[in-house]
Amino acid sequence: MKRYDLIVVGAGPGGSTAALTAAEAGLKTLLLERSAYPGEKNASGFALSSKAWRDFSFLQEMELPSMRYCRQCVAHFLSPPPEMEERFVVASGPSRRMSYPEARDFFTVGMLRREFDPFLVELAEKAGAELRLNSLVTGLVFEAGRVAGVRLEGGEEYRAPVTIGADGVLSLVARQAGLRDKWKPHEVTSVCIVDFTAPRERMDDVIHEAGFQAYFGPGMGGNFLIAYADGVHLGGPGVTNSLIARAVRKGIKPAKELLETLSAPPVQRLLRALEAEPREWQAHCLTWMDRMPENVCCGGLMLVGDAAGLPEPLYAEGVWQAMYSGRLAAEVAKEALEEGDFSPGFMRSYRERLEESPVGEEFVAGAQLRQLFEMLGDPRVCAELEEMAVDLAVHLLMTGQEPKAEAMGRIFSILAENVPALMSLARVYLPLLLQVSEEKMRFYASLLRGIRNIVENFLSGELGF
Amino acid sequence: MSKKHTIDVDKFSLVKVKPSPRNFIFFREESCDGCGNCALICPMDLWRMRKGRASLLAKYRERCLECGSCYLACEKEAIEFGYPPAGSGVTYERA
Repeated sequence: MKRYDLIVVGAGPGGSTAALTAAEAGLKTLLLERSAYPGEKNASGFALSSKAWRDFSFLQEMELPSMRYCRQCVAHFLSPPPEMEERFVVASGPSRRMSYPEARDFFTVGMLRREFDPFLVELAEKAGAELRLNSLVTGLVFEAGRVAGVRLEGGEEYRAPVTIGADGVLSLVARQAGLRDKWKPHEVTSVCIVDFTAPRERMDDVIHEAGFQAYFGPGMGGNFLIAYADGVHLGGPGVTNSLIARAVRKGIKPAKELLETLSAPPVQRLLRALEAEPREWQAHCLTWMDRMPENVCCGGLMLVGDAAGLPEPLYAEGVWQAMYSGRLAAEVAKEALEEGDFSPGFMRSYRERLEESPVGEEFVAGAQLRQLFEMLGDPRVCAELEEMAVDLAVHLLMTGQEPKAEAMGRIFSILAENVPALMSLARVYLPLLLQVSEEKMRFYASLLRGIRNIVENFLSGELGF
Repeated sequence: MSKKHTIDVDKFSLVKVKPSPRNFIFFREESCDGCGNCALICPMDLWRMRKGRASLLAKYRERCLECGSCYLACEKEAIEFGYPPAGSGVTYERA
């Protein structure tokens, strides 16, 4: 039986970042991974947010063959099945109003976990963490009522005063520690993915930097397309119909819904243009909480990433959250070792700091964020909003069929006709606004600025009406 | 208009699994109320409904993607999920 300062269970992004931080701080760290190599068990492609570059300086040096920068996000709104043709498309580059330089440059970078996970593990090893692969943790060791180590399948035991559970959505560590039984069906989503290879030149010509795309439509759950250097994957249903509670309530089979979107004509055209070949069928679950989970630590133990339920409430994005919480947990572990205090009370400071961190901030107005997204899954509301967007776009910008002034003059009647759909949006959006005090202040400030501009322009006679 | 080539997906041919030497999904038939959640949610269609009860295909160890959807969707605690032992189970690998 070997002793360490810290044991980290799971070498995904959360576990590896925890091990890296701990090893750099001089902790004798053991990193355990059940698979034969890091990333083996993870659905292969993902999009890492620019937040990660803001928060982790070591990413500056990261150059992986599969990386593709996403500087354009595209949302395709399709007509209802069986037609499923494009009715409305929004595409946008990054906004100049974003609060840090990376976000003004790109949205995400698409890459493969098969490359990203080993990159992080290697950093942790270089910093001095000890990696053990093929090591399935099946039990915890308790001492004086707190977690004091882990037991592998086969009986081998390792001891440490602090353990970090980074073992994913099905976290056995969380269950063994009694922090939860299992997630409830309204707290988790079940997502399927089809992964395609495509020649790099086709990807550069057809996708270029439009690396994150989503397909929505009345009666669809919303599917997302993530591009990396030489392939794409189409996954979903997004975070609407894939919520397990919703899927079972409505009798929606996530796998079937994904295959339906795959057969939609615009998706087929894109895949043909890319000369894409199906490579892999994947499935995984994610937590999708609308508030920050409570039970993320106990004596001698902290949970990070999906094991803690940290994917955010709108899209269930989770890798940055895993890395951020991993680093935070390792910092708390270091302090616990310095103080010699591994009590539940001390570990509780991890939960408190997490709530105050950017990871916790993502959960502000979580219930409303969840509702906003779910509205797109309501066929009636989605259809109304979609046709309103089409009407507004055509009458404002694309009117060549009718006298221009007459067409543009219809804008107000189009908005008036859509009051019910806009009201249902406002019912969710306004409470959200009230919870974000800073944004609320900015909103009033820009409103006043706008009114001032109008008045000034009007007085100086520059406004043409 | 010419008939265009359709890109289809045969999911069963697109998974790579080294069958686990032991069981890792445990089904308590007596707890099952036949709701069908597991059959609905499983991305590999490994659960079937027979005579008002769920049943797990015998060859699940050759196909399971270890996503845990069945375990999470079951509200009767009839499904227990572990992981296959190290060195077996699904591999997501860039070919």
